Amino acid sequence: MGDKMLDFRFLILVGLVFLSSCKKSETPADTWHATPYEVQIPFGFPTILNIPEDNPMTVEGVTLGRYLFYDGRISGRSDPDSMMSCGTCHIQANSFECGINHPKYTGGFPFGVTGKPTPHVMLPLVNLVWNSSGYLWNGLVSNDNPNPSCRNIEDLVWMGIVAEHEMASDTNRAKQLIQSTPGYPGLFYKAFGSETVTVKNMGRAIAQFIRTLISANSKFDKYLRGEVQLSPDEIQGFILFTTEEGADCFHCHGGDGNPLFTTHLFYNNGKDSCFTGPFEDPRDRYHVTGDPMDLGAYKATTLRNISVTGPYMHDGRYATLDEVIDFYSHHLVWSPYINPLMHHIADQGVQLTPTEKMQLKAFIATLHDKAFLNNPDFGPPERFPDEE
Amino acid sequence: MKRSIPFLLLIFLITSGCKKEPAEEPVTIQKLVLSFDFQVDGKPLQRDTLCYVNEAGNRYMVNEIQFFISDVRLHCHTAEPLLLDAWTSIHYVDSDLPGTWRWELFDTIPAGDYDSVSFTFGINEEKNQSLMFLNPPESFMFWPEYLGGGYHYMKLNGKWLDTNSVAQPFDFHLGIGQIYAHYPDSITGFVQNYFNVTLPNSSFTLPVNGEQEITIVMNIENWFRDPHAFDFNQWGGDIMQNQEAMHLACENGWNVFGVKL
Repeated sequence: MGDKMLDFRFLILVGLVFLSSCKKSETPADTWHATPYEVQIPFGFPTILNIPEDNPMTVEGVTLGRYLFYDGRISGRSDPDSMMSCGTCHIQANSFECGINHPKYTGGFPFGVTGKPTPHVMLPLVNLVWNSSGYLWNGLVSNDNPNPSCRNIEDLVWMGIVAEHEMASDTNRAKQLIQSTPGYPGLFYKAFGSETVTVKNMGRAIAQFIRTLISANSKFDKYLRGEVQLSPDEIQGFILFTTEEGADCFHCHGGDGNPLFTTHLFYNNGKDSCFTGPFEDPRDRYHVTGDPMDLGAYKATTLRNISVTGPYMHDGRYATLDEVIDFYSHHLVWSPYINPLMHHIADQGVQLTPTEKMQLKAFIATLHDKAFLNNPDFGPPERFPDEE
Repeated sequence: MKRSIPFLLLIFLITSGCKKEPAEEPVTIQKLVLSFDFQVDGKPLQRDTLCYVNEAGNRYMVNEIQFFISDVRLHCHTAEPLLLDAWTSIHYVDSDLPGTWRWELFDTIPAGDYDSVSFTFGINEEKNQSLMFLNPPESFMFWPEYLGGGYHYMKLNGKWLDTNSVAQPFDFHLGIGQIYAHYPDSITGFVQNYFNVTLPNSSFTLPVNGEQEITIVMNIENWFRDPHAFDFNQWGGDIMQNQEAMHLACENGWNVFGVKL
C-alpha cells in the first residue's frame, strides 16, 4: 500500500513538472520567431547583398520598418507642426528624394525642423541593398568607419533623429514616444522578439524596409529581358551612354553590364577648380579618406529614376537634366584632382550635339521605373499601428 | 578434417586477395599561389604622383590599375601544359583592393619540375561573356555590348603632362576592339585583343606536399615602351574605341609581366 502511494505521488509530481514546462513554453520569449524575407534578385543584378548578419530581413521587420519610416513620431514629437519622419523628405514618387517639386522644400533643398538646411541635397533610396561602398555623398557611413555606430543604413536612423538639419531631436524621446504608442510594442515583438522599443531596433526595422526598395522594372530593364524594344533615339542614346567617344557615362554610372547604374564610388567630376579656403567642403570624400586625390569627390548617384530626383549634383546646382547634360558636354572644369575617367576635360566635355543630347536624355528616360514609384508596398501605410 | 577444408580455402582466398591489391599511392597535395605586384622602372609603384617619364617622353602618373588574367598554364618539357582551371580560371586584380593581390589555385598539381608559367592577359573569346560577373568589383569591368561585350581586360588610369604642361587624364583601357566602317559609328567587326604571356625565368620545382608562391610583377612602363613608344600626345586619353592604339598596347604587352619566385 505504501509503495503504491509513493508511486501515485511520483506520477503526480511528474505530471506537475510536465504541465509547468508546457506553460513555460508558451511564454513569448520561447515561441517568438519571425518570417524570413527573401529578396528577389532581378535579372543581371548582383547576387551579393549588403544585409548585416545581425539584422536579417524578416516580413515582420519590414512591416514595422515601413510604419516607422512614415511615422513622424520617430522624431520624438507628436505635434503635427514639428513631427518629422524619413518619409517627410524621402518621397516615393521622387525615388525617395524630396524632388524639385516638393511643396515645402522649395527647389528640392530640404531643411530640418528648426529650419537649418541640409549640407547637401538628397540621395535616392533605391537599390541600396546592393551598396557596399558607403552611404552619404562622401561614403562616411561605411563598414570601414572605426565608429561601429556609423557603418550601415541602420545607423542613418539615429543620425537622422539627432541631426540639427534633420529631426533635431534625441533618441530617448523618440524611443519613449514609440514605446508609448499603442500597437508598436506588439510590432516590435513580432519583428525582434521583444516589446521593448530600442533605437537600435528602430534602425534595424527601417533599414530592412529600405532594403526592399528595389527598382528593376524600367523600360530599359524590360529591354534587357527582351520584353520590349527601345526606340531609335533611345538606342542611339544608349550607344552614346556606353561609348567613350559618345557621352562616356558608363564607367561611373553603369550600363548593360552594371544595371545598378552606379558604381557607388566617388569621383571628382570636374564641377569646380578650387577646393581650399571658402570653397572647401568638409563633407567631400577627401574628408573621409584624407587622400588629396579625393578632394571634391562625391558619390556617383544611380541614374535610375533620375528624371524625378533633381536638383542634381551634391549641392543641387543644376535643376534640370538638360543642365546636367550641358555640363558634361561643354562645361567641365579642370583641376589637379579631377578623376582620370574624366578624360574629355581637355575639350571641357564630351561635346554632344543637340540631337545627341536629345537622344541621351531619351535613353536616360528609359531608366524611369513607374512600377517602383507607384508600388503600394513602398508607400505610406493607410493607418498607423495606433489607428488600427 | 573435411569440415576444415572450406575454412582453410576461405582464409587462402582472403589472404591471396589482399596480396593482389595494388599498393595505394600516398595522397599528396601541392599548392600554387600567385601574388601580384606593380613596379615602374624596377621600383614599387608610387601612385598619384607625376614622377614617371615614358619612352615617348611623356611625364605621367598612375592612379589605379584593374585587370584580369586567366587560363594559367604550367609547362613541363616532358608533358602537355597543365591548364589550371578546375576551380576558377579567371582572376581579377585591383591596385585598390589588397584582397585581389593573391590567388590561391586549388587545382591538383603533380609534384615535379616545371619549366615555365604562362597565362592569358585578359579573357579569351569563349569565356569573355557579358553578365558572367554579376557582382562588383568584377562587374564594374564590363565592356559595353555595343563595343563587343564581355569585360575590360585592363583599366590603367592616370594622367600625363600634355604639350602645354597640363595634367590630362588617360584611360589606358584594353578589351575587345572594333572595326568601323565610319568611325565612331557603323561597327562591322570585332577584334579579340587578349594575348598569351609566358613569364620569363619562371621555372620552379614543386616538392611533394609543397607550396610554391610566384609573384607576378606588372612592369607598367613596358606598356608604353617596346616595340612601340606609346605617346599620349598622339593617342590621347582614351583608346577603347581605337583598335590601332589597343593593338600597339597589346604588342607592348609581351614583356610587361615578370616574376619574383
